[in-house]
Amino acid sequence: MGTMRIDGHDIPFQENDNILKAALAANIEIPYFCYHAALGSLGACRLCAVEVASVDPTQSPRVVMSCLEFARDGLNVSVSAAAARQVRQRVIEFLMINHPHDCPVCDEGGECHLQEMTVACGPPYRRYRGRKRTFTNQYLGPLVHHEMNRCITCYRCTRFYQDYALGDDLGSMRLRNEVYFGRFQDGPLTSPFAGNLVEICPTGVFTDAVFRQHFARVWDLETAPSICPHCSVGCNTLPGARDGTLRRMRNRFHPELNRWFICDRGRYGHQYSEHIDRPLTPRVRDEKVSYREALAAAAEQIKAARDKTSGLGSTREDLESNAMLQTLLNKLSGRFATFSDPQIETATVAAVAALQSSGGAPSLAEIEQADAALVVGDLTAHAPMMDLALRQAYRAGAKLAILHSGPSLLARFAATTLTVPPQEISAHLLRLHEQATAAPTAPTAPAPSNKHEKELADIAVYLTAAQRPVLIGVSETMAVPEIAAMVQLATALGSRAKLAYALPGANTYGTILLTPTTSTTAMLEAIESGQIQTLIVIGNDPLGDARLGTRWRAARRHLSTLIVLDCVATATAEAADILLPVAAWAERGGTFVNYEGRAQGFAPVFQRTEPLPNTVEVLADLAHCLELALPDAAAVLSNLFPGYQAPLPGTLGSALSAPPLTMQTGTTIGPASSAHPGHWQVALASWYGDDPLASYAPALMELAPAAAALIHPTAAFKEGIEDKKQVRLRGPAGTVVLPVQLNNDVAAGTIALSRVTLTQLGVGHGDLLELEHIS
Amino acid sequence: MNKQTPTLLVRLWHSLWTTLRHAWAKRETVSYPEIKRPLPGRWRGRIVLTRDPDGEERCVACYLCSAVCPVDCIHLQATQRDDGRRYPETFRIDFSRCIFCGFCEEACPTLAIQLTPDFEMCERSHDELVYEKEQLLIEGQGKHPGYNFYRHAGVAISGKAIGEGIGDTPPVDHDTNLP
Repeated sequence: MGTMRIDGHDIPFQENDNILKAALAANIEIPYFCYHAALGSLGACRLCAVEVASVDPTQSPRVVMSCLEFARDGLNVSVSAAAARQVRQRVIEFLMINHPHDCPVCDEGGECHLQEMTVACGPPYRRYRGRKRTFTNQYLGPLVHHEMNRCITCYRCTRFYQDYALGDDLGSMRLRNEVYFGRFQDGPLTSPFAGNLVEICPTGVFTDAVFRQHFARVWDLETAPSICPHCSVGCNTLPGARDGTLRRMRNRFHPELNRWFICDRGRYGHQYSEHIDRPLTPRVRDEKVSYREALAAAAEQIKAARDKTSGLGSTREDLESNAMLQTLLNKLSGRFATFSDPQIETATVAAVAALQSSGGAPSLAEIEQADAALVVGDLTAHAPMMDLALRQAYRAGAKLAILHSGPSLLARFAATTLTVPPQEISAHLLRLHEQATAAPTAPTAPAPSNKHEKELADIAVYLTAAQRPVLIGVSETMAVPEIAAMVQLATALGSRAKLAYALPGANTYGTILLTPTTSTTAMLEAIESGQIQTLIVIGNDPLGDARLGTRWRAARRHLSTLIVLDCVATATAEAADILLPVAAWAERGGTFVNYEGRAQGFAPVFQRTEPLPNTVEVLADLAHCLELALPDAAAVLSNLFPGYQAPLPGTLGSALSAPPLTMQTGTTIGPASSAHPGHWQVALASWYGDDPLASYAPALMELAPAAAALIHPTAAFKEGIEDKKQVRLRGPAGTVVLPVQLNNDVAAGTIALSRVTLTQLGVGHGDLLELEHIS
Repeated sequence: MNKQTPTLLVRLWHSLWTTLRHAWAKRETVSYPEIKRPLPGRWRGRIVLTRDPDGEERCVACYLCSAVCPVDCIHLQATQRDDGRRYPETFRIDFSRCIFCGFCEEACPTLAIQLTPDFEMCERSHDELVYEKEQLLIEGQGKHPGYNFYRHAGVAISGKAIGEGIGDTPPVDHDTNLP
């Protein structure tokens, strides 16, 4: 703490602040390129030159780089001094020597840091008349466009990609004034955070390849504060739209969540709302009709069915839509559920109950501060930004332990990795709990059945020794016993341990608070026994469910009418009797509740040329047609959550006060029998671009890994299966023939399969499967 | 008799004489449209989009014209060809709004948009004054023959690889560290 003087103003600074950081915090503009709050100072660009007066009056002042000079008490700094101004002007002039004449065709134009700095402190005309150095460009995949001529060598890209996001396929090459930033060979960038290069590059070397297809200048874009709809982290984003279409996504700073970055799913997944098959016209059976006609048809069916109507909400629909559907069904005395898979429902209830009882999940900023972490499941695929936060913890020296069944990108950074079949995870967690609770001096009774005893002991040692341990589970691939075991472990570690779960949708936390217990099983059984005639589905895809899709498709035949409100062409939307297309999230406002229970509002960004109603409006119109008095969404929510105030978009969000849920521990916690001769356990091999919405984003899906059956080499050798050999997998819903891919990250006796394959087979994570050789 | 009367008479006769003199002077008025005046080359009339010396569209859809337009009469949407060449997918000028200020021409970094000495754009409805790209794009180079933006820019297009532009050196081989 102290005060220094910049151009006659007293500027306070914190301990270890450099001059630039303190000046920027005080809204004093010192030009810079290479400094970044997340990446720190490097001194590569030499632009942030300032003049510092010497303490000794006989010595003349000197020009220093403000990003490399610590702020000191009583320091006298001048940004506007002639010497400093001249240095900055020369630096810009030198940087511009090789800069191409590209601004008209450069996507950075209008928000280019180099453009701004050149106008602000550079010479107005180019004096250099020589020839320019050039570089060839690389193909970096469908998401990021490379134009290397524009580079000013600030090293921000490699500092982010290698140092911050711990990627390893982008680096700097060559030397002197020929430094090149790229990959060793052409090819897609493999990091799930590669899209941040677009924002972090101060000029147009890395630009958004998806936005490029329908480019618009930044001044033409309509923007509004929004929340990412792709996972439960709830990163703050700033979508940009023009002429009634969504064009791009940028990060929006949130000090406790995403801060300066978002993942590629958040940045490129939004194109689902521009998918060519997106339903835009209401449909009654196979006939395209007007909105009013579809509404009248739906109302007629609901009137006929009356209390035989039920509704299925969704974890990807906002809080308002789910609450409105629940209220509508209360008026009709129908059933309400929100999940298509009862196992995921009970697991989510357990996870949210655990989060509520553990005193709140850590924010991403807190996860970054952890000094030891246990991750259960493939976190990168389900909550990429939690993975990035853990990578920061790892950089700071935290020990990571990963307990997983299928491939996990985070495993590379783990101090201890345990690759365990899905059904044995809970046993391992219990054993870990035993070891963590046992006195460190007394050796615990060995459990001879467990071959991972040593690794578990290691994990127990550094979890108990840690000051800020964090336990993170992926609730979609966990069952109640595992979640309960994690809670036990967290309790054993004491109040310093933080517990978090990556939940399976943007609004899962909010949705589960509205969900009656075991409602999905009850609803399925009611449909199958003919107690339900009309089903209203909002933003959910029961017919495309991985585990129970077949059962839902069979149940659908018992329904006389299936009414679907959705913005993507899911299997359920295709099979709907009455389809009412609704606005995608950027076209409407709403509230998502993230994994911490933080309710965050998002604002409507733009309107389509032919505007679509949002889910709440459709439900209100439906209630009007049914002559039911339905209160508005705000009233519904303040009834459900006492003292509820809709969080304003653009604010930091507010904690949702809700009555605590209770964990349904129906199944006994204990080691599951793992011997199933002739059967393999299934693990979900998801990837970071995979969620029900982002899987409709064409550019992102180009990066989706090819469908394969991932098997551990040892297990494959035992069974006599060779790499790349075709095998036939037999599940309840059908058979699939896939090539085998050997992968060291898959547990023994386990096959890791993509979500699409799981749906084709009709199995879920942890289920059993038969494998047949094809001769 | 008023003192000012002689002065007034002189003035009256003077103006009558001037009128009489102009009765035989050379006529400035022409009977338009039978006779048309030659207009200066920089006269700001109907806007056109020109082509470069290779016959390709000059416009790279940079949006500067639509940004600078004080009456917001230009609307365009950028897209690109497979070879990387940017062009406007749509380019629309609403001439019923255009005030022919010429700012778009000044802003254009590729010399694509140009104002021509043509003002005869009388239509019976506003709709017909909204010109689409097909109506704006001409075959020639307009006032600035010879300029080809892509020869100066650093991006590659078909027929001009990186390092083949005017004032470029051949590209650096980044796979080696040799000088």
